[in-house]
Amino acid sequence: MEHPKKRPHLSFPVKASMCIMGTGQLLQKQWVKGLLYLACFAAYIIYLAVMGVEDMIGFFTLGTVKGDEWLGIEGDDSIMMLLRGLLAFVITIFFIGIHKSNINDVRESDRKIKAGVALPGFKRACEIFFDKKFYIAALAVPVLGVMIFNILPIVFMILIAFTNYGGDIVPPELVDWIGFDNFKKILALSEIKDTFFKILGWNIAWAVISTLVNYFGGLGLALLLNKKCVRKKAFWRAFPILAYAVPGFITLLGFKFMFSYGGPINYYITLHGGSAIGFLDIDAGMKAKIIGVLVNAWISVPTSMLLATGILSNINHDLYDAASIDGASKWKQFIKITLPFVVFSTTPTLITSFVNNFNNFGIFYFLRGGLYNKGYFLASDTDLLINWLYNLSIDNNYYGIGAAISLIIFLITSTFSMITYVRSNAYKKEDTYR
Amino acid sequence: MSKRKRWISLLLATSLVMTLTGCGGEKKEEKSDEIITLRILENDTAKQEGYLDELLSSFNEAYKDKGIQAVDANMEEYSDLATNGPYGYGPDVIYQANDKLMTYAEDKHILPLTIEDFDCYEYIPEEAWDAFRIQIDGETYCCGIPVNIQEPMLFYREDRMPENWETEWDDDQNGVADFFENWNDLYAYSKYLRDTDTSPNKDSQYGFMSSFNDLYLNGQFLFSYGAYVFAENEDGTLDAQDIGMSAGNAAAGLCGLRQMAALMNEGCIDDTIKMNRYEKIANGTYFCTVSTPDTYSLFIEKLVLAYEGEGMNEAEAAEKATENLKMIELPSLMPADGDLSKDSAEMSEDDWVSTIVMGGVNGYGISSYTEHREACMEFVNFATSYEMIQKRMDMLGIAPTRSDVAEASGGVTDMIFQSLENGNIYLMPSIKAVDQIWVPTHTLLGDIAKDPFREAVGETPKYSSGQDIQTALEKVDKDIYDAIYTLK
Repeated sequence: MEHPKKRPHLSFPVKASMCIMGTGQLLQKQWVKGLLYLACFAAYIIYLAVMGVEDMIGFFTLGTVKGDEWLGIEGDDSIMMLLRGLLAFVITIFFIGIHKSNINDVRESDRKIKAGVALPGFKRACEIFFDKKFYIAALAVPVLGVMIFNILPIVFMILIAFTNYGGDIVPPELVDWIGFDNFKKILALSEIKDTFFKILGWNIAWAVISTLVNYFGGLGLALLLNKKCVRKKAFWRAFPILAYAVPGFITLLGFKFMFSYGGPINYYITLHGGSAIGFLDIDAGMKAKIIGVLVNAWISVPTSMLLATGILSNINHDLYDAASIDGASKWKQFIKITLPFVVFSTTPTLITSFVNNFNNFGIFYFLRGGLYNKGYFLASDTDLLINWLYNLSIDNNYYGIGAAISLIIFLITSTFSMITYVRSNAYKKEDTYR
Repeated sequence: MSKRKRWISLLLATSLVMTLTGCGGEKKEEKSDEIITLRILENDTAKQEGYLDELLSSFNEAYKDKGIQAVDANMEEYSDLATNGPYGYGPDVIYQANDKLMTYAEDKHILPLTIEDFDCYEYIPEEAWDAFRIQIDGETYCCGIPVNIQEPMLFYREDRMPENWETEWDDDQNGVADFFENWNDLYAYSKYLRDTDTSPNKDSQYGFMSSFNDLYLNGQFLFSYGAYVFAENEDGTLDAQDIGMSAGNAAAGLCGLRQMAALMNEGCIDDTIKMNRYEKIANGTYFCTVSTPDTYSLFIEKLVLAYEGEGMNEAEAAEKATENLKMIELPSLMPADGDLSKDSAEMSEDDWVSTIVMGGVNGYGISSYTEHREACMEFVNFATSYEMIQKRMDMLGIAPTRSDVAEASGGVTDMIFQSLENGNIYLMPSIKAVDQIWVPTHTLLGDIAKDPFREAVGETPKYSSGQDIQTALEKVDKDIYDAIYTLK
């Protein structure tokens, strides 16, 4: 017969620490530790009293008084309230974490006391902590940095997607929570829905094509420059690096000029009796898309080439000798030896490259910004989701919708990245080439 | 043990003091006899040409005894007051075009002003004040002090005028070439230049040239024909729901634009002409082009270089450039039916409409977030005084809104002033929704300008009839409406 699990008996110091942080440690005569916990507890209570509770309430109301500078009414700043509310919750979560550590600590000390083990002094306890849990000490600052500079803005952006912030609703107007309305608009309003799916389709095609072009372009170039017959390799390798070294947007503006009606390409076409071509016109369609892929390749192929060059230098040449003896053709050797080796080593880079291309803002912003196509809502046929997002949120102040789209982009790219990586050999057969 | 208690007490006391200090309210800075510093945001041209320095030093000299000094806000020209102002980072006084400034006024980021208190009040026409008026809750407020008028101007070289213009191109013998008086003759002269271009690629001489994708520079093809941006309600406010790019006979105007584009090169479809106009006017490839008055110095710069290239020394080149570069208003008459190819000699008075260009009024506004409202008003009053506006005009070549300065300088400046008074300048609407008009019209104008070149390469033109253009204009109206209202 099974006995029901007995709840562990809680000693008085544990109960005391559960109610007021640090008191358990003080009862156990761990003065410094107890006072530090107590100070944290006091600081949190004071924070709640002074602003924390107000900030948490503000997070839900997003303000109730509309400001009017002309009448001298200060008013609530909804976005600041959202930010402060978010911070209040983060501080609370942080406090809960400390509280938990406080209970664990007092329990551990309680166990030691019952076992007759002497409790270490504060200095000794610190030494033990830094020794046994060095990873916590070492990672605390970077994790805090990631929390503040990465996680918080992302959470903030996610929250904005659920508000009506943008358009006419910008401070001093009060922002409100609107649930999933922004997502509904994207999927329900015909103008936005059509534009979204058209751009999404092109965006996926663009990301796949440009990633492959850049990847195999770089690999091809690296293989070419690796050939024994190529002399002065360093000299030839310098050229793609020059293209890489020029800041991307300068290159893009240069290409925009080159493909414009007054640019050198059309100049030579007309000089030889041809008619100027509107490479980047509103109805350029596929021409503009192909130019985008090629210009992107110009900027990105050098990176792939450098990467591939490094990886190729690590391939065991005995494999090729053996394959040659077995009668494998050069193509077979490439497919069976070179490609698997390079792909294995570069899968994470390939995923990064895909995500970067998916979110490649610069290419079409600089080449073809400022155009709206027929059948598109505030976008052109070459715009990627990230460009549309910019048009909506920066050019037209629709922050809420913009945040909702960026959330969708995030879901797409993160899902793709995770699936691809987990299914790749680089993940499944991590030790293959060790 | 007692020693330990002492340390504990000390630690507790310290932490308590630190906590309370950290939680304390913000310290209010005590007001004293300190000098009031005003941050002034001027436009980039005023900075580059040294006018801002001149203005600040004159103001600081005049107000040194009153404890006010003005400094450059040192911000990007178009930095957003709505974003920066509430947190104390914006300028105190801001100089902007009326559309931008009034966007701030809609959300009360700039202050309403009692304009009668400013010395310039009686010298500025109502049309200019109207650009800064806004109705909120049934009350009309004026939120800016007009400084200068901006409108597209025609730039050409006097020494590139045809030798026989007085006999061949001045039918009414009024001493002004016909192609500067009406668009049909400008079209005729441009066609003449194209037809007589004997260079191998036929690309050495063009007449009128403009990047047609720019609404601001080419608004005359719409607004002269009854188009409008937003309709005006009876009380003078603008109705952003009523968009009228397709109103009136706007399609006819754009038929004229299409005709004119056929006499240019493909550079009229994108920004090419806007970028190379200075050089091409200087080397004589373009006979005339359209630009804003603040680019005058860029034309001069290139013309000086061209003359130097011909062997003149710097002083001679500069003198000749100033003498030969002319900036005048666009031809004042456009064909009522939009057909630029008609012979002007055979047209009666009823066959014309007055050219109405798109323009703007730049002026000063005072930030609602300034702590020194009175001092800001003193500054704006100083900056809009006769002397400073005169200096601004001399240094930047602007057309002032002050009638006394305009009258005294005469010439083009007075002409622009008169155009504003006569309603020949369609002022950019002073509401936030105006931000949505640019890209849809930019896209359509560029596409219409491309049409003649489609024909040239055997493609089917998209705008072969006025009805096609009318449909496209109605689509632009809808696009603008959607951009404003779809997500509201």
